[in-house]
Amino acid sequence: MPVIEVENLVKTYNGVRAVDGVSFTVEEGEIFGIVGPNGAGKTTTVESVEGLRHPDQGVIRVLGLDPIRDRYELTERVGAQLQESRLQDKIEVGEVLDLYASFYRNPADWRGLVDRLGLGGKVDARYGDLSGGQKQRLSVALALVGSPEIAVLDELTTGLDPQARRSTWDTIEQIRDDGVTVVLVTHFMEEAERLCDRIMVVDHGRVVAIDTASALMDRLGSEQRLRFRPSAPVADADLLGLPEVVAVDHRGPQVVVTGSGNVVQAVTALLTKHEVVAEDLRIEQRSLEEAYLALTDTPEATNEGEER
Amino acid sequence: MAATMKLTRAESRLFLRDPIALFFGLVFPGLLLLALGLFFPGFDEQTADLAGKRYIDVYSPMALALGLATLGLVTLPPILGTYRQFGILRRLRTTPVHPARLLLAQLWVHGAVAVIAAAIAVIVAVTAFDVPFPERPVWFVLAFVLAAASVFAIGLLVGARARTTVSGQAIGMAIYFPMLFFAGMWIPRTIMPDGLRTVSDLTPLGSAVQAIEDAWFGATPSATNLLVMLAYTVVVGFVAVRVFRWE
Repeated sequence: MPVIEVENLVKTYNGVRAVDGVSFTVEEGEIFGIVGPNGAGKTTTVESVEGLRHPDQGVIRVLGLDPIRDRYELTERVGAQLQESRLQDKIEVGEVLDLYASFYRNPADWRGLVDRLGLGGKVDARYGDLSGGQKQRLSVALALVGSPEIAVLDELTTGLDPQARRSTWDTIEQIRDDGVTVVLVTHFMEEAERLCDRIMVVDHGRVVAIDTASALMDRLGSEQRLRFRPSAPVADADLLGLPEVVAVDHRGPQVVVTGSGNVVQAVTALLTKHEVVAEDLRIEQRSLEEAYLALTDTPEATNEGEER
Repeated sequence: MAATMKLTRAESRLFLRDPIALFFGLVFPGLLLLALGLFFPGFDEQTADLAGKRYIDVYSPMALALGLATLGLVTLPPILGTYRQFGILRRLRTTPVHPARLLLAQLWVHGAVAVIAAAIAVIVAVTAFDVPFPERPVWFVLAFVLAAASVFAIGLLVGARARTTVSGQAIGMAIYFPMLFFAGMWIPRTIMPDGLRTVSDLTPLGSAVQAIEDAWFGATPSATNLLVMLAYTVVVGFVAVRVFRWE
């Protein structure tokens, strides 16, 4: 059963269509990822779902509610973590959780929440003294303190070191295990691949694809790439003669063979026949990152988090 | 209502954790009177400079007005700028509590600090320098409340649009010093040329100083002074609410 339904969402800023006809549904209990280049309209989309922005066109239903008209009820049932939002430097972790818990009619037990999020020892710490990862986890805690049915998390792990990022991922999986539907805006493909049941790719305000990570990767075909250093020279023509091989490339002493099907077996068999050993053999599969880059027309994934 | 109280408690704690705001907002008016009285020769003697009044009598109401201006124009706007810059107001919009409650909490906190600061200044004036206890207490309180309301309305207007801490500070200061000048901080109203005093009467702080001084020394504050403060409160307050930006 869908808990979020968005139909033909349009939002224009200064004559530019930041969101240009986006439609999608989010099912109860899933982790739904939204990925796309900066300025693709990700944040505008989720902030419209949260009722923070008034769309120019389109219909949004969240738990059957209209985010603008049923604002109050929505805030009770949807928890939000906003991009680039901070708290007062001198407020203590326990104080802010206690304060935010008091806003909701069915608050979660915030002490249990901080323990689970690994902030148990930080209840008396001031916000300004927390590390980046701790601030983000507090932000997740605040999004959950009202016992929401849906949590919308916008660029949760931007600016975190890899270790903090991974522990935040564990947190998100825990949230889902508790039955909360999660909408996750990210630009880390690794994060989307690891966490999301389905991923929506947006670019220039439009939906490019909505699918599982593996289905998105399959769209690229089942190409594989072998990279090795031959112990003796191998003629390109011999390799290209194999029906499985599509391309042969040289990177210094390394040979890079791209192909499909049983390309790995075919190439190793050929090498054995020629009594050549493939040293440092590595087999690379197409990643979600490549699928993403193929779907969007960005030259490469960026790491900055600015978006309107 | 419960949310406003919780927010007011939280914001009070934050105010108490800010030593600079605490010093200038809470103790500075009283401390200034004490320092002037102790170190400025003849400060508590009648003088021809002020047409027979004592400096301390003129500066006691001024100290109260100074405290209000500091809270309303120096402390309040940067806080609102910070809350907008950090996205705290925006964050509140995603909860069942409207961010207007946070503004209300700030006004309560600043109002409470203003009252305590004024009480300290009055106690200093009365106990250390033989200034009489305010002789028309009801008028005195009314004048003070209107003064606070008009100055806070201006601070709220500055804070309504300030995008950052720094812009809140800059705009607040740009209003603070001229207001203090027209209120008689450097040229007491008693010896202001007529033209300047007329301008002073038209500023909320100038009217505040006069109304508070009148009530303190036994006179009924003039309707003009009270109406000027009321007008600023209503008009500026209305504009502030209308133009307020949550993000």
